[in-house]
Amino acid sequence: MTTETKSPETPSRSRQAEWLIENRSRMTVLAVLIFLFLAAMAGLERDDWFATIMQGLSVGALTFLVASGLSLIFGLMDVLNLAHGEIFMLGAYAGWTVYTRFDTAVDAGVPLLLVIAPFALLPLWRRLANRIRELGVNWHAVLWFTALGVAYLAWVLLFAVGSSSEAGEAAATGGASGPVIFIVTAVFAVGGWALYRKWRTFDGSQDSIDSAMKLNAWSFLIVGAGATVTAITKFPLVIWNAEDFARSPSNFSVQIDLGTLIPLPADSFAWPALIAFAVLLLGGALIALGLSSLRSHTGESTQVNWKHWAGFGGMVFAAIVLYLGKGSLNDWIFGLSTTWRFFLAILIATAIGAAVGAFIEVVLIRPLYDRPIYQLMITLGVGFILIELVREVWGRPEFTMARPAAFNGTGEGCPGEGIGGFFSGCSTVEVFGGRLRVYNEGFVVLMGLLVLVGVTLLLKRTRIGMVIRAGVQDPDMVEALGINVRRVFTLVFAMGSGLAALGGVLAAPSIGLSTGMGAVFLLGAIVALAIGGLTSFPGAAAGAVLVGLIQQIIIRFGQTGISVPFVTEPFKPSPTVVPAASILLMVVILLVLPSGLFGRGER
Amino acid sequence: MSLLRLSEIHTFIEQFHILEGVSLEVPEGDIVALLGRNGAGKTTTLKTILGLTPARSGSVVFDGEDITTRRSFDIAALGIGYVPEHRAIFADLSVEENLRIAERQKGDFAAKEDLVFGLFPDLKRLIRLPGTNLSGGQQQMLAVARALVADNRLLLIDEPSEGLAPVIIEQMMEAIRQLSSQSTVLLVEQNFIVASRLAQHYVIVEEGRSVKLGSMADLVNDDETIRRYLGAA
Repeated sequence: MTTETKSPETPSRSRQAEWLIENRSRMTVLAVLIFLFLAAMAGLERDDWFATIMQGLSVGALTFLVASGLSLIFGLMDVLNLAHGEIFMLGAYAGWTVYTRFDTAVDAGVPLLLVIAPFALLPLWRRLANRIRELGVNWHAVLWFTALGVAYLAWVLLFAVGSSSEAGEAAATGGASGPVIFIVTAVFAVGGWALYRKWRTFDGSQDSIDSAMKLNAWSFLIVGAGATVTAITKFPLVIWNAEDFARSPSNFSVQIDLGTLIPLPADSFAWPALIAFAVLLLGGALIALGLSSLRSHTGESTQVNWKHWAGFGGMVFAAIVLYLGKGSLNDWIFGLSTTWRFFLAILIATAIGAAVGAFIEVVLIRPLYDRPIYQLMITLGVGFILIELVREVWGRPEFTMARPAAFNGTGEGCPGEGIGGFFSGCSTVEVFGGRLRVYNEGFVVLMGLLVLVGVTLLLKRTRIGMVIRAGVQDPDMVEALGINVRRVFTLVFAMGSGLAALGGVLAAPSIGLSTGMGAVFLLGAIVALAIGGLTSFPGAAAGAVLVGLIQQIIIRFGQTGISVPFVTEPFKPSPTVVPAASILLMVVILLVLPSGLFGRGER
Repeated sequence: MSLLRLSEIHTFIEQFHILEGVSLEVPEGDIVALLGRNGAGKTTTLKTILGLTPARSGSVVFDGEDITTRRSFDIAALGIGYVPEHRAIFADLSVEENLRIAERQKGDFAAKEDLVFGLFPDLKRLIRLPGTNLSGGQQQMLAVARALVADNRLLLIDEPSEGLAPVIIEQMMEAIRQLSSQSTVLLVEQNFIVASRLAQHYVIVEEGRSVKLGSMADLVNDDETIRRYLGAA
């Protein structure tokens, strides 16, 4: 520690002077950067200059929304979340769905709420898991064989029988033919035999109880997942017509954008509603119980208080209300202006992003804090899974999203003039002679600023922010003070994912939706993090703005050309060098400041 | 009756068998010194009590409750304060925040303000400074003060005199003596003179085993034991 040698009683040189000396290389870099930007801008007209800067800020704001969460998660947990870009993407798709097809979102919300609701009673499942741990081995064996039986039965019902009733198709797709049935049955038989051996060799020691609990947990998970998947398919879900889409994708997309696509009549329940509700709740409960059984819970709260029941009851109640009132809810939402629908989309997409983030942390990241490399690989895998999930659920990879009405006005009095023009409801505004889009260069930048200020206040002014800042440096010490750091980890993961999803839904109207959008912004965010100093939150903001600016400047120069000495033709960088430019910027900054602009150096 | 009892603790860090049988008792209200050479397992013993490096076998009982497999935050919340070896002051937090973060209930800090600043008057005027702008001695004071903010019945203090000037060591010893009137202390200390002047009991750890324990008054006159386990004193 350098502080050991520092004389305590003599802060003789003023603090400012010391700060200047400590940060001189940092400031030199900043000065050079500013000079470079100004010099580069000298080649542009003033109006162009302003517009380009604002476009850079807009891209920077979106990059920042991805980078901020990435930086918080990396700082606190040392997890580089490679799925972060895909959560950005998921936010865009979720927001798009709420915005253009609210009826689908409502329909999907009912089963989703029912599956999540039992998780509100986690302490209850923990207590139940502890009870089950104390049961005799014979009861455990009953559980295992039930799970095995249910899994086999489900397989038979879903694949073997299902395909034989449509024998022609089954033959064509190579469904469950004789040998396949034989092999799967054999696999299950071997599994059953292994379980029998396990049962017989159980000796009541702590280790054997632990491994029996693992099997119990998986039994619950398998049966729970089976029940959930089966029941979900019984819920009515309005989906856009895949056959229509296959016939004419462009027609389909135009209709969606205009909101004139005629929805399919809602499928009715394949089961009586009450049974479907109950089975789904049971499925969610079994999954929650299975997750609780995976490890022991000595010392964790197993007390269920009214708050847990309120959470559970609230979610079930919301699901019922959503189900019964969805007709009038849909009518009301579609009656709202697109602006309000857009804000609703922002809220819901952010919440979904946060929920997905919390789920990823609790289920996938948390068991692996001892093995960081697996965490990295698992986030990479989750990213690919999310991309495929989006392809599967949304049917096609690319959509456009209309700008909400407040940012889309044309005609009389448009474009707006000056700063006040941002509030005129026009789609564009002229400021300093440059023409800006109100949504991209106004609203997005404003949201980026709001998040920057909001998160900074959270970090600096609240207790949880204090815990996060301390945890970035030394999570063990924070834990030793009596603070549940894992809960803070989950919270930060959820918050970061929520911010990424917010970025996604904000990006959707300006750049459109595609399954590749996440990767682009993740790359930008990682570069921004490296520039800013990896774990520094202001660094993430500065880095993101730099990345956005350099990208837009290069794009602009690709259009206008830069005059280079001794060359007659102006040099026009091609669009493909845009990502390369930001990486080049990172390389240069890291050469001068190896720990980035705001990095703390070696920790 | 003893506040803390360790029986036959075995702790692994990754595949390394660090503690190979540590047993000790800390009577309520006393100061117990944990002695031994570098690398004997003193720090790991403290971390095992707190669950930062959980024991693989054996048991840790605090105030009649078995805490061997509990999570660290849960153990600490029972009333155990920790002053780690290298102080672990949070660099991004001001001195005040470094103290406030130790609150377990709102108002803990306000309630303990007089006690903390009474022991360490220096901290009062440094309150707005960032944690890293302190000298080694001030950081050590802050680390001890942080452990005092919550109501802790047991303090685990690791090497409080390490790297400090003699004057500051005197001050630190005085502070520990005063605070021991309010809570029990388990102290790891390389400096035998400091340890012998503070503690009533001692435990010697050698190669991961607790090999000798007893009253400090006896140890001070037992040159043979001191030479054998602690080197020249």
